[in-house]
Amino acid sequence: MKQRWKLALAVASILAATAGCMAANRGGGASGDAARRTYVKPGEHDAYYAFLSGGHHGNVYVYGMPSCRHITTIPVFTPEPAVGYGYDEESKAMLGGRTWGDAHHPGLSETDGNYDGRWLFINDMVSARIARIDLGDFKTKQIYGPIPNLSAAHACPFPTPNTEYVFAASRFSVPVPNRPARVQDYGKDFRGIIAGIKVDPKDGTMSMGFEILMPPFDWDLADAGKGPSHGWAFFTCYNSEMAYDSLEIKASQNEMDFFAAVDWRAAQKAVDEGKATTINGAPVLDPAKVPGIVYLVPVPKSPHGVDVNPTGEYVCCSGKLQAEVSVYSFAKMMKAIEKKEFDGERMGVPVLEFDDCLEAKVPVGLGPLHTQFDDKGNAYTSLFLDSQIAKWKVGPPWDVTDKIDVYYSIGHLMASEGDTRNPTGEYVVALDKLSKDRYLSVGPTHPEAAQLIDLRGPKMELLYDFPTYLEPHYAQMIRAEKLKPFTIYPLEKNSHPDAIKRAEDARIERKGNRVDVYMLAVRTHFTPDIVVANEGDDVYFHVTNLEQDDDIAHGFGILWSNCNMQVEPGETKTMHWKAEKPGIVPFYCSNFCSALHQEMQGLIEVRPRGSSIASVQRPDPAKTAQIAAELGRK
Amino acid sequence: MNEYLTGKFRPTERRYIFLAALVLLPVFFFPVLHIWEMRMWAPQYREGLTLRIYTNEIRGDVDKINTLNHYVGMKALRNEDFREFRFLPQALTGFGVLALLAGLFNRRWLAVLGWLAFTAFAVVMFKDYATWLYKYGHELDPRAAIKLEAFTPPFIGYNRMANFKVLSMPGPGTVLLGIAWLLGPLTVWFERRAARSAGRSSRRQ
Repeated sequence: MKQRWKLALAVASILAATAGCMAANRGGGASGDAARRTYVKPGEHDAYYAFLSGGHHGNVYVYGMPSCRHITTIPVFTPEPAVGYGYDEESKAMLGGRTWGDAHHPGLSETDGNYDGRWLFINDMVSARIARIDLGDFKTKQIYGPIPNLSAAHACPFPTPNTEYVFAASRFSVPVPNRPARVQDYGKDFRGIIAGIKVDPKDGTMSMGFEILMPPFDWDLADAGKGPSHGWAFFTCYNSEMAYDSLEIKASQNEMDFFAAVDWRAAQKAVDEGKATTINGAPVLDPAKVPGIVYLVPVPKSPHGVDVNPTGEYVCCSGKLQAEVSVYSFAKMMKAIEKKEFDGERMGVPVLEFDDCLEAKVPVGLGPLHTQFDDKGNAYTSLFLDSQIAKWKVGPPWDVTDKIDVYYSIGHLMASEGDTRNPTGEYVVALDKLSKDRYLSVGPTHPEAAQLIDLRGPKMELLYDFPTYLEPHYAQMIRAEKLKPFTIYPLEKNSHPDAIKRAEDARIERKGNRVDVYMLAVRTHFTPDIVVANEGDDVYFHVTNLEQDDDIAHGFGILWSNCNMQVEPGETKTMHWKAEKPGIVPFYCSNFCSALHQEMQGLIEVRPRGSSIASVQRPDPAKTAQIAAELGRK
Repeated sequence: MNEYLTGKFRPTERRYIFLAALVLLPVFFFPVLHIWEMRMWAPQYREGLTLRIYTNEIRGDVDKINTLNHYVGMKALRNEDFREFRFLPQALTGFGVLALLAGLFNRRWLAVLGWLAFTAFAVVMFKDYATWLYKYGHELDPRAAIKLEAFTPPFIGYNRMANFKVLSMPGPGTVLLGIAWLLGPLTVWFERRAARSAGRSSRRQ
């Protein structure tokens, strides 16, 4: 009897396994236990944070891995009314009037070549800006730029191993300084720019470091050296033909384009020694006049990605129109530079001999774009045309050892901590440009697709795929324990000039047409909750959330207006509202806060223009005393 | 009895008296140990909120609890409302000093006096604490949004208040105070045992 049971079980498991294989063959299904490997129980936490760029959404999307759950969206270059980003006065000033950005490459701050979990940088290609997100509160803290002279910051913002710099380069060359010009004079008047943006090691504040005048190629992607190649940064380009129209044809004529190797320490030194010319406020170095800061290395067939391996010995470039990854030895490059064996120069930039620098060619497949790494000396290259990822060995015999199909048309890929000195080698996420039939149809605009692939076994295995917002480019994945986000803003550290911390300070002050409302929000009322203003007044609501409890944010929304924001525990935010016509305008808490959330509301009484109103209005002292007693704080 | 009180301790028992003084130290001189603790759980506070009462102040999630208490009209907990905090450390210091003196001068009457005063003080303080609990649960603001029937938070043990489960228990400070207190009767017991065995052995000789 027992024997028969065992037999039945064995048959059942063989059937199950076969069914699993069949599903896999039917277009990229995952294997039988894939669900278990991505499952994170309710209430439990993922092992990784993944930060996906939001493309022309201008946001950053945060996912938990391996569950692939969307955790939150960080507004960066795009207003977000839910939290008041781009609506309150501070973030409005940070956005500088722009309401979109094209966010491509999230870059986590590093210490010693490893993610340190302090900041996330992300570029806005279209306006040549870089934003810094503080990973303490997942908020955008600085938007630097538009970077002067730079046009389309695509190769951006790739941090150096100790976050000394984040880099940016012009994808579209324009005259420098920009001025009226004839496009036919492209090769003469146009220039590319490579910029090193300095990062303050203490607070992450970005400032101008240096700029280098480059030939007017289209500068594309970048990566900083590490280990032996620390101190250098590498930038690929296409269009070394310097075509200015019909690039689709004309920019693919040369067999070889280049990557530029920049000695950024030498560049900074040259700026410090006063060898730069100031253009639009940026110190610009001309390589023809300041030798030794930048070299060009030939790369076959319109290169795209440039990636330095974890040991820092090799620079891997992918020719988009070639079926190979070209691997360069940093040591060989240095030797060639030392011997000064150049193959001519382009606009003052010396060109190294291809054969002097090349270490290997790895036949990965069609349309190679980007390469990431694991902890066992393997590289993973995305293949756009083949819709595959190729796994290959870094080092002799430079073999391709595995391939996996992805759905469809992969651009970037992201391995767990895969661009650091110590990748974890657990997962890679494929960021696909097309999703086609992967999800329920939502009409002609398909979502993008991201796919989680397990790297821990001998073969790559698809675990899960999930739709993403349009259109993520790159992503970075960091071990969750490296981040220590805080949950409230300590009220005693709130140094906002318009903050109020005691009920007694709640008041309304008028000066001419300007009205400042110093308001507190606490479960579950605003104080003051009656505001009297005149028609035509500019009213500034400075709302301080006095809560010091996790997850108790208050909203502040005004009827018939564009005004809404969220104020988090211990935070102060300012919102401008114009009293346009006489009447009553209610306001309310727009973010659910407690059982009496519905009662958290107030009224603005707008009187006809020129009515006389006291210059200081204070709430009823009895009420103030009551609130003070309830809070127990002095 | 009189004879006992005017007598002196043997070296072993004298050490217990010093120990009693020493044990009190972290409770009053460096208030690192709390004397009472209240923990509260609600569906959205599964991790729990904690109040710890030290001899000189209340610590823990005081602000959070005050914000929640205002719904039911309970008064905010404020250190300055408790005059106890202004004399509790000093009083305990006094008892420690008494024990120390009793040990130093080796006077039984001093130790007994200290112990009796300490006992009386403890009874008064427990009563005082119970009164506070009663007051907080009964003096509710009639205008509060949520009207609760008057209640008394638990002195020791579990209780339910609205959506909160409350556990109240003595802290390590009180345990130490208890040990210091117990050292009194223990000393007497040890002395008597020693006296008995001495009597037995002398009889045997």
